Amino acid sequence: MSDITLKDIQINARQESARMQHFFIGVEHLFIGMLKARESLAASIVEQHGLTTDYVIDEIRRRTGKGTSQRMFAGAPYTPRADMVMSIANDLMLERGADEIAEQDLLEAILEEGDSIPVRALHSLGITTPAARNVLANPLPATMPTPTSPTIQIEFAKNYSPLTTLRDEHYALLRRLFYGSGRIRIDAQLQGGYTTALILVVTAFGNDGLENAPVVVKIDRADTILDEAQRYEQIIKETLPPLTARLEDFPATMESSDLAGLKYTFVTGEDGAVSDMRAAAQNQSADVFSQWIYTDLYQRFGKTWWMQRKPYRFQVWTEYDWLLPPLVTLEYEAQDDPAAAVIKDPVRRSKIRKAEYGARIAIEDFAIHRIQPDRGSIILSSGRGFEAAKRAYKVELRGLNLEKDAHFRGEVVERISGRLWKTRDEILQMSVAGLAPDFDLASPVIPGLAHGAYLPNPLVLYDDLLDRYVNGSLSRIHGDLHLGNILVGHHHAAFLIDFAQARNGHTLFDWACLEVSLLDAYVMSAYGQDWDDAREAVHEINGSAGAAFTALPHELKPIFSIRNIVKENLEQAGNWSEYFIALAFCALRASTWDTMSIAGRRGAFYLSASAMGEVIATSRPSGQDTISSDGTEVDIPRP
Amino acid sequence: MDLSVEIMFMSGVEDGHLIALSAENGDGVSNEGVWIIRFGRKEDNEIWLRYDSFASRYHARVYFRAQRWWLEDCNSKNGTFLELDDDDEARVSGSVPIDLGQLFRVGRTWFRIQDGAPNE
Repeated sequence: MSDITLKDIQINARQESARMQHFFIGVEHLFIGMLKARESLAASIVEQHGLTTDYVIDEIRRRTGKGTSQRMFAGAPYTPRADMVMSIANDLMLERGADEIAEQDLLEAILEEGDSIPVRALHSLGITTPAARNVLANPLPATMPTPTSPTIQIEFAKNYSPLTTLRDEHYALLRRLFYGSGRIRIDAQLQGGYTTALILVVTAFGNDGLENAPVVVKIDRADTILDEAQRYEQIIKETLPPLTARLEDFPATMESSDLAGLKYTFVTGEDGAVSDMRAAAQNQSADVFSQWIYTDLYQRFGKTWWMQRKPYRFQVWTEYDWLLPPLVTLEYEAQDDPAAAVIKDPVRRSKIRKAEYGARIAIEDFAIHRIQPDRGSIILSSGRGFEAAKRAYKVELRGLNLEKDAHFRGEVVERISGRLWKTRDEILQMSVAGLAPDFDLASPVIPGLAHGAYLPNPLVLYDDLLDRYVNGSLSRIHGDLHLGNILVGHHHAAFLIDFAQARNGHTLFDWACLEVSLLDAYVMSAYGQDWDDAREAVHEINGSAGAAFTALPHELKPIFSIRNIVKENLEQAGNWSEYFIALAFCALRASTWDTMSIAGRRGAFYLSASAMGEVIATSRPSGQDTISSDGTEVDIPRP
Repeated sequence: MDLSVEIMFMSGVEDGHLIALSAENGDGVSNEGVWIIRFGRKEDNEIWLRYDSFASRYHARVYFRAQRWWLEDCNSKNGTFLELDDDDEARVSGSVPIDLGQLFRVGRTWFRIQDGAPNE
């Protein structure tokens, strides 16, 4: 029995109602009132399911939305449903022979009533009513170790070499993830993707000293990790081949930091080591590696993923705009200017592109995509339509007082305004300028792959491409497929991890991402890091299109394995522009990543330019749908 | 045909409020033999959204035809939405069939048809 009184809950509920400008008390406010109380039973229900109270509160708020400042009734009335829940709670109290409603009574009443917004939110997060009741029936004392719990000893494998240094909060999280183990050994740190995620291989030992199989631990921002766990449950779990990495247990979170972690089970090869595809690529021949991409990665996962494709005609921006930097970055202004230029659905980019520094811009009906407390900024996105389109047209708004204004992920903001700080074009230009280009960034054309030839400048052309229509296909995709997210396990099987971006999306997106990743990690090292090297690499990728697989240089073989997969997945056989659109945007994004090598970024920039060149060439009336600029059709024997 | 329906508010200040309507009592309007329940901000709607500033005056309607219930948006400003399985919603254009228990949103307010059938 928790010692939180009804009065505490009601005070929290009223505060929540006022913050959200609802001005009434519904079951959702009472439930959030409980979640916000320290060590409540409500909090233990969500925590025992690997969620944080903040995450659940955001899910509930997303469902109710914020009210308007306009009050339409006096006082703070209870909703009919809240009245009913209170009366059930009252009955439960009487049955107990108590004279005051306790948190337990209220929670049981909410579960019994069963139709309220918080119950619907819990269900969609995978917490069933019986599971919640079970926590109530067995209210455990705090089973979680405190963040400083010294019980689990952490050691490092002999050959462990850190890519980044672990901090105290990482150790605390690891102790929580492996609660119940005697000790753990950190075997390796895998090179993650291009994000902040930390990926470790960890072996746990029981209290009896017995060694368990190693697991892969991913540590990242709490909302990213919790999203990944949700996506795994809802989209991925049922579609995995029998032998692959699986999410084990619930994620672990901490009150004291914004980090969370989760564990993937792993079955190692004979040597007992865990490696990612980046390492595997170095340890085997190009032929074997290329074949592995096709048979193990594509064919084994493809049956329930990419091969399940359905025709899907889309405008490029819906699937690819989100890869680009924010459309605009604004400095928040509390004072709204009615004359401000408005960004709303449908977005007219041309108007925004021409806007000048300091111009007043208002955003209407965009959803909050992410809150960045450390930067005092929020990222909004168009939030409408298909899942992919929902993340398009990101707008960053800086200089907000996030303490004062209650914002939550998923909130639809009716109108918010600021002054223009940076446009997307400026961010892209600055980023590529950092690569010291040997050409003019503002020119519509850049030096081509061969001497005297020209290619379109991706920084100028990308915007036009966003409005094109693509006849493609829709399937379940990984959403962030790169060499660091593909582990190599038992019998060299591909073990995919990191499902934070998994969704139904453009089938070819994954392959374009992987091609760019291969260009960075596999191809460019054979060429060098100068701009001429980038041009040469991309030139050879294009030029070898018609060549026989066996005649290809080793470093290009895996790329052509990917193109071979793409060829099978083109919606219209032979129409490669579907792929080149995807590749152009994936590569353009990569060219702006400061976590990628200079060689990789320069290569990616030219890969983008070349892909855009192909898209333009094939859309000319006389153009043939060909993969290479010399008009030869691709014909690679299946490896 | 003698029809009755129960519609419940599923969000907002009237969350949990159940409205029972029947043709026999003169509720709703009939148009060419089809019984219609109207939703909107004006008080002559059967489902009066008095506290929802996102609702249009005559926003949406629910009616029974061909042995099932239908939801229709009446060119509302802020739209009518149907909840989908995967925790998503779809904007209603024209009429769409709706099942008992399925959630739908008029303006900012969620509803559900609890029960509704021809009276035997």
